[in-house]
Amino acid sequence: MPQEALHLENIRKTYVNGELQVPVLKGVDMHIDRGEFVCIMGSSGAGKSTMLNILGLLDKPTSGSYRLDGQDVAQLSDKDLTTLRNIRIGFVFQSFNLFPHLTVQENIEVPMLYSEVPRAKRHRISKMLAEKVKLSHRLDHRPTQLSGGECQRVAIARSLVNNPTFILADEPTGNLDEKTGTEILGVFHELHDVGTTIIMVTHNPGYEGICDRVIWLRNGRVWKIIDNIAGKTTEFETE
Amino acid sequence: MKLTDQIWLSFHNLMLHKIRSVLTSLGIIFGVGSVIAMLAISEGAKIQAMEQIEAMGVDKIILSTKVPPATSKDVSDTSTSSLLDTYGLTEKDREHISRMDNVESICVARDGRKRIMHGMKRLGHKLVGVSLDFLDESRSVITQGRWLSAADGSNNVCVLGANARRSLFPLGQKDVVGATILIEDMAYKVIGVLENRYGTAFDGIGSPNDNIFISMKASDAILGKAAYDTSQRTIKIENVDYDTFIIKIRDISYIDHTSRRITSYMNKIHADTKDWNVLVPLDLLHQQEQTQNIFTVVMGSIAGISLLVGGIGIMNIMLANVYERRKEIGTRRALGAQKSDIIRQFLFETIFLTSIGGGLGVALGVGIAECVTILANWPVAFSTWFILLALLISAFTGIIFGTYPAWKAAQQNPIEVLRAE
Repeated sequence: MPQEALHLENIRKTYVNGELQVPVLKGVDMHIDRGEFVCIMGSSGAGKSTMLNILGLLDKPTSGSYRLDGQDVAQLSDKDLTTLRNIRIGFVFQSFNLFPHLTVQENIEVPMLYSEVPRAKRHRISKMLAEKVKLSHRLDHRPTQLSGGECQRVAIARSLVNNPTFILADEPTGNLDEKTGTEILGVFHELHDVGTTIIMVTHNPGYEGICDRVIWLRNGRVWKIIDNIAGKTTEFETE
Repeated sequence: MKLTDQIWLSFHNLMLHKIRSVLTSLGIIFGVGSVIAMLAISEGAKIQAMEQIEAMGVDKIILSTKVPPATSKDVSDTSTSSLLDTYGLTEKDREHISRMDNVESICVARDGRKRIMHGMKRLGHKLVGVSLDFLDESRSVITQGRWLSAADGSNNVCVLGANARRSLFPLGQKDVVGATILIEDMAYKVIGVLENRYGTAFDGIGSPNDNIFISMKASDAILGKAAYDTSQRTIKIENVDYDTFIIKIRDISYIDHTSRRITSYMNKIHADTKDWNVLVPLDLLHQQEQTQNIFTVVMGSIAGISLLVGGIGIMNIMLANVYERRKEIGTRRALGAQKSDIIRQFLFETIFLTSIGGGLGVALGVGIAECVTILANWPVAFSTWFILLALLISAFTGIIFGTYPAWKAAQQNPIEVLRAE
C-alpha cells in the first residue's frame, strides 16, 4: 500500500463578493499517493486555479479537510502555511518566476534561504540539482541569458531543494513551444521515475496520457478520473 | 531567513538600481548635508564667541568707564564744565573694590586718549596705560621682545599690539623691537609686540591687538590724570583715573554676589553720573549658551523638516517599488518567505537607502562647510557627535518611512500577485 501524500475531503470554497456568494469548489474529494504523477485538468471556470491555490497552501478552503502527510492543514495560520509551502511543496510556475538579477545557482537556492540552510549545504544541493536538470554549465548565468526551457529547468531544480512532499506545477509548459514542452515533460518523467510526487495543473487535454492519473474538474466538482495504470475511467455525476 | 542573508539580499537589490537608489535618497542627502553644514557653521560661530568670552575670563568682572550721557548743563553752559570733565573710575573706587571679600586683584587700564600718527595719517590705535599684570589677565602673549616690567619705571617704553605693529611698520620689517615711535611729539621705544589670539575686546580700551601699551607709572607721569582731547575743535580736558578694571574674583561661585556688591557700590558713589558699566563675562557666556540653545532648536526643526521631506520622498518611491515588484514578492511568499521576511527585506532596503543618503549627506555637508570657510572665511567646527547623530537619525528616518511600504509589501496576497502577469 503506497503512502498517502495528500488527502482532500469535501473541500468547498465559496468566494464572497458583497452580498453575492460564488461557490467555486463544491465538495472535492481526492487523494494522491507518494510517487504518483497526477494531472488536474478542467476547462476555465472549472475551479482549477482555486484547487491549485488550496493544494499549494496559498489559500484556505471554506470548509473540508486537507491532510498533507497526515497533518490537517486546512485552517493553519499564515505563518505555518508559509513554512509548509517552503518545505513540503515545490512550486513550478507557468512563467517560471525566476529572479532575473540572480544567477541560476542563486535562483535555485532561494527557498533554502527561507529554511535557513547553511551556505555550504546550499551550494552543494544547488549544484547537485543543477546537474540533475542538466544545467551544471549554466550555474553562473542569469535567467535572461537562458532559453525558456532552461528557465523552467531552473525552476524545477528550485522546486526540489527542500525535498518536498510533492511538486505542484501550474501549466509548466504553457509558455513553451511544443518541442521544449515535451523536453520539460521528460524532466518530470525522470523525476517521477525516481519517486517524486508530481501534481500538474493544466487545461491541455493532450496531456491526458502522460501521467499516472488524471483528475478532471468541472463546475467545482471532480467529474472524471482517468487511471492510466489500471486503464480505467471513472465518471461522477455533476449537475 | 538569516539576518546576514537578509542584509545581503537588501543590499544586492539596491545595487541593482544604483542610480535610482541615489536619486531616491537625494532628499536625505541634501537634508543631512544642509544640517551638517549649518551645524558646522553655527558650532564654529559658537566656539569663536565662547572663546572670545572665555578669553576675557570667566573668573573676572569687567568694570569700565563710560562717557556720561550729556546733561542739559553740558549743552547750555559751555564754560567750565566743558573744559574739564571729571568722570569715570577713580583711585578711590579701585581701593574700595580691592578691599571687597571676594576680590583677589584688580588689573587697571587707562586710555591715554592720544593721537597716534603714522606719517600724516591718524591711526585708530590707542595709547593705553596698564598695570603690569595686564598681559596675563588679558590672556595675551608676547610674540617679540618683552613685556613691560617694574624696572621700566616711568621710562618711555611701549609694547605694541599685533595690529598696531602692522599699521606702524611694514610687514617685512623685523627689527621692530628697539625702534622708536612718536605719539604727539613724544618718543616711545618699542620693547615688545603683544598678540591676543582670542580677539577679545575689553570695555573701555577695546582689543589688546589694537593698543599700544605703556606702564601705568609712565602714563601717570607723562599723561597725568587729565588728558587733552584735541579731536574736537574746542579743547577739552578729561579727567579720568582709570578706564577699565579687570577684577579677578577669588571664588567664582559667588561672582553674582560680588558683581551685585560692586554695582551697588558704584550706584552709590557715582550716583549722579552714569559713567560706568559692569560686565560679567560668565553672564555673557550663559547668555551666549542660551542663544545657542535656541539656535540649536531652530536648526533641529529645520533638520527635522528636511528629513521629513526626504523621508516622504523615500516612502513614495518605496511604495511604487513595492507595486512594481509584487510578482517578486508573490514568488518569494510562495517559495516560503514569511511576512516578516518580506517586511525585513523592504525595511532594510529603506534603511540602507537612508543610511547611504546620510553618509553622502555628511560628506556633502562637510564639503559645503569647508567651502564656506574658504570662500566666506567663517570658522566652522565639526564634532563627531553630530555626524554620528546625522547618521543615526537618517537610519531612524529609514525605519519610520520604510515601515509602511514594507508592511504593505508583506500584505500582498501571493495568489493575486502571482496571477498578475
